[in-house]
Amino acid sequence: MATVEKSSYDALIVGGGIAGIESAINIANNGFKVLLVEKDLTVGGKMIMLSKVFPTLDCGACITTPKISEVARHPNVTILTNTEVKSIDKQDVLYFKVTILQKPRYVDESNCTGCQLCEEACPVVVPDQYQYNMVGRKVAYIPFTIASPRVANIDIDNCILCGACEKVCPTQCIDFSQQEIEHHIVVKTVVIATGFNLFDPVKIPRYGYGSALNVITSMQMERLLAPTRPYNHVIRPSDGKTPDKIAYVLCTGSRDHTVGNPICSQICCMYSIKQAQLLMGALPMADVTIYYINIRSFGKGFEEFYEQAKGMGVNFVKGKIGMITEKENGNLALRYEDINKGTVVEADHDLVVLSVGVIANQEPIGFFPQGDWKNDKFNFSFQKDLLFSSSLSSIEGVFLAGSTTGPMDIPDSILSAGAASMEATRYLRQSTISV
Amino acid sequence: MKKKIGVYICHCGGNISDYVDVEKVRGAAENEEGVFIAKTTMFACADSNQKEMVDDIKDNELDAVVVASCSPKLHEATFQAVTQRAGLNKYNYYHANIREQVSWAHSNDKVGATEKAIQIVKAGIAKVRLSEAIEPLEIQTQQAVLVVGAGVAGMKAAISLAKVGVQVYIIEREHFVGGRISQWDVLCSNDETGKELVTRLFTDISSAKNITLFTGTELVDCAGSKGNFTVKVKITPRYVSDHCDRNELQKAIEVCPVVVPDSFNFNITNRKAIYHNFPSEYPHKPVVDIANCTRCGECEKVCKQIDFSQKEETLELKVGSIVVASGFDPYTPHDGEFGYKISDDVITLPQFKRLVDICDKELVWKNKPVKTVSFIYCVGSRQVDGDNKYCSRYCCTTTIYSAIKAGEKFKGLDFFHFTRGIRTYGKEELLYYQASKDGQIFLQSYEDEPPSVEVKNGKTTVRINDILSLKKEVEVESDLVVLVIGMVPRAESTIGEILKTPRGRDNFFNEIHMKLRPVETVIDGITISGCCQGPKNVVESINSAQSAAIKAYSFVSSETLLVEPIVATVNPELCSWCDACTESCSFDAIQQQEIGDKRVAEINPTICKGCGMCLPVCPTNAIQLKTYGDEEVTRMISVLANEL
Repeated sequence: MATVEKSSYDALIVGGGIAGIESAINIANNGFKVLLVEKDLTVGGKMIMLSKVFPTLDCGACITTPKISEVARHPNVTILTNTEVKSIDKQDVLYFKVTILQKPRYVDESNCTGCQLCEEACPVVVPDQYQYNMVGRKVAYIPFTIASPRVANIDIDNCILCGACEKVCPTQCIDFSQQEIEHHIVVKTVVIATGFNLFDPVKIPRYGYGSALNVITSMQMERLLAPTRPYNHVIRPSDGKTPDKIAYVLCTGSRDHTVGNPICSQICCMYSIKQAQLLMGALPMADVTIYYINIRSFGKGFEEFYEQAKGMGVNFVKGKIGMITEKENGNLALRYEDINKGTVVEADHDLVVLSVGVIANQEPIGFFPQGDWKNDKFNFSFQKDLLFSSSLSSIEGVFLAGSTTGPMDIPDSILSAGAASMEATRYLRQSTISV
Repeated sequence: MKKKIGVYICHCGGNISDYVDVEKVRGAAENEEGVFIAKTTMFACADSNQKEMVDDIKDNELDAVVVASCSPKLHEATFQAVTQRAGLNKYNYYHANIREQVSWAHSNDKVGATEKAIQIVKAGIAKVRLSEAIEPLEIQTQQAVLVVGAGVAGMKAAISLAKVGVQVYIIEREHFVGGRISQWDVLCSNDETGKELVTRLFTDISSAKNITLFTGTELVDCAGSKGNFTVKVKITPRYVSDHCDRNELQKAIEVCPVVVPDSFNFNITNRKAIYHNFPSEYPHKPVVDIANCTRCGECEKVCKQIDFSQKEETLELKVGSIVVASGFDPYTPHDGEFGYKISDDVITLPQFKRLVDICDKELVWKNKPVKTVSFIYCVGSRQVDGDNKYCSRYCCTTTIYSAIKAGEKFKGLDFFHFTRGIRTYGKEELLYYQASKDGQIFLQSYEDEPPSVEVKNGKTTVRINDILSLKKEVEVESDLVVLVIGMVPRAESTIGEILKTPRGRDNFFNEIHMKLRPVETVIDGITISGCCQGPKNVVESINSAQSAAIKAYSFVSSETLLVEPIVATVNPELCSWCDACTESCSFDAIQQQEIGDKRVAEINPTICKGCGMCLPVCPTNAIQLKTYGDEEVTRMISVLANEL
């Protein structure tokens, strides 16, 4: 049975990605008490997993970690990770009753020093979700070196309860008796910053993801290029060979009615061009080809970034890939319509990266038991007054930040978080005035 | 002299350590005089390392710190905050840049890069050895904000600030608010019209007690700094008095004999010299266009409200922060560009939007009914030869949406889109899908083979080698050719010069950092929002406006502000008032003062930016820059020049 704790805050931020972090800092800077809830073991969201970010090629970690550091030590911000929102219930004009469930880590967060001795001692290895299953991790583990909080966690579903971790822990902070904690919280305003999901390319069997070993997703390539990468080199999964003919398949799961996602994901062209540039640096001998329908480099400095990639020798081919077939040597045959020749041709590549699209994270609809939460027709959070104030949701006092409303790149997410925190601050100021 | 210096060398996850032998740099630093500890770290900026630094400083009582990592633009403030958390004055910190200036610049020469990194770190150590604790300056804040521009971005920023209790002054150069959006009819993608959106924003502006709107008003001067700006604005009169009798004013407009092209309708219609020509233009009060007025006096005869005695006024305002929302200009095609000004049937997208709005039952251009409309995309954007390399972002979606809406309003139109690859990003992709399904024709060319326009037998024809059909030559005889023009930075913009806000490569105003500080400029206290920063649609403009507003709020929400004390100071004994320093100062921070009977220079520390321009021009060496004294700089140079 879960224990129950009660508390109150001015604002609840759901989601600890870049939009949630930015919103929390903005609101807390105005003197309001903020609770930031993240369901993962660490804050940082998708952004902290990235290598360098377009179009400036700053390393993703260099932008995310200082913001994380700022939010983590902000006197007005409390962060709960490994914690899920159960319900957000609007009581009257001024208050929301919120129930959240803090899951046990089986590690006393306040005493863990992050020494990783438990990780060394643990005998069980499972696929590492933070490296998108390309390598293994232990069952007692820290998600990655720049995780925040940087403390251990026991993956209890896979734990064999051997006790090896307990024996080596220098601070005796491993505690298998930990229980879930249910927090009952009262807040005045809520910011939803639950982000997006990536399209699962298994849904397009003709692309071979899951069966052809050398077909990977763009997020897996992102990990191969990141500073906290699993290997110190870009290699292909089947045999560890350094690839030298890499293909990008744009619009995998985007602009595609057959998989139920007709919209454009807005970020894939640019992250693919960025990865191509990074690959030209990491593997100077490799050829990189990007197969596209339209290149959508629309933001500030994006078109110039696209031109730069062309100048570096990235090969851009207009054509949608129809089918990917695995060959005996692990290479892939890509069938596509060559728009210049008007015929179907086949190209040989030794590594294929699927530029997977953005899919709505539909969790917020489950938070609101009164059924007054609305999604749009693509299952993103509904924006009540799109042009006048894009962060207003279908419920008064609940605001929307980042890609919960639709695909968005990092700068747009940060600006949308600015808008949400402005509205939330306005709402809090007005409620202070009226009380 | 500092004796316990901590030095941290960052790998930057390989960004540095792939090219610089960070361990060797650490070893070199360790042996420097005064260095107590020297460490390497994977990510110096990560929270775990920041905690370790705080512990190191406290446990070892370090008296100065050097971090060798990225540009100080990115993380100097981060590590200054670390030293402060550990109880150390932040001016005992030095940020050595071994990424932008070393590893990224010399990735082909690891040995040389490592040597250069060692020199830079040693120079940093030499500087902090002499560092002194100084305290930030506290200044009184003007708890008001100036918003420049009353388009949708400016109005939204003003409303957002007013709602949290800030006094706002909003100035607009035109006599009517609403900017470009008031000229637009239906907006994507919720069918709200520009008129409706502007009406709602204007209603909020007029109902807020703490917003003062100045129309016909330009910024002419700005002095001071964050928390304390003094701005001068020039107000041009409307020549119409405040008490407004609509019928009389309407008569005045009718009797006015002067007819000029109406810029609101992008010159496709005409207006009088006294005008209030469109219902979405607020305030609802006409204005006399004094440049074109002949002073014939006809209007005065029928309307008592006309008042030619009104004079231009200059007003001084005191504010703590400035939000710039000065917008963009639509690109003007040069004569002959895709037939512009050569064929009467070639118009621009904004003109087409106004035409669709103005025409009632039938789409008519120059008294001829229109059946076939051709759109030519990327006019003035993504230029191969011109300066505008960027994509203007809004145009693909807006054009397709306009075509769909025009098709709904007027039956039987045929649309041809001559594109460079459609960029209906996000959910707007469905508009492209719908237009294609409706039978609108999309053709495409690469940038090296754009479509061409020529007039043949009185008909305007667009020709393309369409890459979507094996470069087949396609010709479309068109009743109307619409040039899809992009956004360009304001041509006539003194604002940037007055406020000293820098521009980027694309000539739009530049933010400090696209992700870390997307609405701030290098001039503290001045933020940018909307399309003056780069092309945006309405939603993006308003998001950036609200982001700028919350940033501006943080500058003015408390009564006092702390500002950087790295400023120049004058030694009055050495100063002989030659006036060379005042000329060198771009910020007007230096003034003359009298001490006894001696005239000397005095530097206002709240205006001084610490740029150092005045130092070298001073013939008597009377000016010193705090934390960058002669001794500190000489020692750094000596180390870099290998003399020590």
